[in-house]
Amino acid sequence: MKPTRRKLYPLVAVLSGVFVIVFGLVTAKTLACTFFLCGVFVWLSLFGCLKSCLRMLPGFIPAGAAFVGLTYLLSGDAGAALAMGNRLGALCLGMIPGVNTDPVRMTRSLSRVHTPRAVTLGMLIALSFVPMLRGEIRRVREAMRTRGAGSVLNPKIFYRAFLIPLVMRLVNISDTLALSVETRGFTLGKAPYTIYKKEKPAPSDFLYVLGLLAGAAAAILL
Amino acid sequence: MSEEQKKTEEQKRTEEREAARELISNAEEIGTETAAAETTARDEDDENKGFRKYKIKDIVFLAIMAAAMLVTGCVMPFAGRIPVFGMTQLCLSLQFSVLPAIGLMKVRKAGSLLLMSLFAGVVLVFMDVIMFACLAFCALVAEAAVLLVFRGYRKDAACFFAAWIYFPLSMPFVYVWNLAISAEITGALNPWYVKAAMCAAVVALCCIGALVGVKIGREMRKSGALKK
Repeated sequence: MKPTRRKLYPLVAVLSGVFVIVFGLVTAKTLACTFFLCGVFVWLSLFGCLKSCLRMLPGFIPAGAAFVGLTYLLSGDAGAALAMGNRLGALCLGMIPGVNTDPVRMTRSLSRVHTPRAVTLGMLIALSFVPMLRGEIRRVREAMRTRGAGSVLNPKIFYRAFLIPLVMRLVNISDTLALSVETRGFTLGKAPYTIYKKEKPAPSDFLYVLGLLAGAAAAILL
Repeated sequence: MSEEQKKTEEQKRTEEREAARELISNAEEIGTETAAAETTARDEDDENKGFRKYKIKDIVFLAIMAAAMLVTGCVMPFAGRIPVFGMTQLCLSLQFSVLPAIGLMKVRKAGSLLLMSLFAGVVLVFMDVIMFACLAFCALVAEAAVLLVFRGYRKDAACFFAAWIYFPLSMPFVYVWNLAISAEITGALNPWYVKAAMCAAVVALCCIGALVGVKIGREMRKSGALKK
């Protein structure tokens, strides 16, 4: 089967991620869960998440090995270590479809199913603001270094030189962002609106869901 | 028509035009004053209501606070695997009380905490499904408690109270979930004194966090940054 470049329909991606996590947690103690997770890894790679799957491996392998090793050392039970590995794997794999989803596409899909505008706007900001926030944190820390403010581990310095400037910056950004949203004609009322690009589930999404469900059924039955 | 008659008519027209212009400007002034008075009255009226309409800037600020909660909460998936009861809550208690307190200090409207939980939940659902469900439920309980006790977020004490109880409320739910799903790994089978110590630590840290959040909110208000 040739890997598809088309990304998954956002709502399918989110729901499948939640399904993988919950299924992984419930069946973590079984060996079938490990096979199911391996299958999910391959399945996700085939449905446009190959890069995210490969990017996840360098983080998962050492963290997984450490947690599995610690569990085995503490409990002496191979089953508990396997369950720990499965849980971590389910968590990492469940995150991939969501991480791979563009926030804008997600907002469009939610708008199509008539989610309240306040909720979609908030979700869009919360999802796309995370990288920006990291940049702001870095800038505040650089400013601290430039001023010679001292260590961030000191609570007083942390409060005065890090927390207050960061919150101040967040307040300013939120005011500018709100103004920008308003000037683009966004309203929270029941005003009619159109969606720039309508997101629709493709046949590949149905195939993806079917494969996932078949894998889960096989893990339970076999 | 004589020259004089023409001049008189022209003068009459000019006078009429000026009178009309003055009338319009007068009406506009009265309209603006009335609208301003109405807006002020509506705002004052709105302030006294328990449930108030959200503005775009409120939603944006709450979403940014939720994003901050997410960034600081990225240790959740790993903390949750440490086999000590309440480890996730202990690692996140400070940030999950400081940031909601700041959010509530600016957006003093019923439902703010729930909205913050929902916005943060979009990503949290991938880190810890039960944590998302828990936080949404805890936000509802905290909001209900604040509405019952303080009748809204007008007082700083209400913001402090909501931010304080919000996160510790998740512990009983997480305990039940852990017991059902993965008791031996998540620390649900730890001795009672470990659980009691962790609960006390989480409550204490959330109290400190909520206090810090309210203090930051007051400082921001004093500086004019948290204007309505």
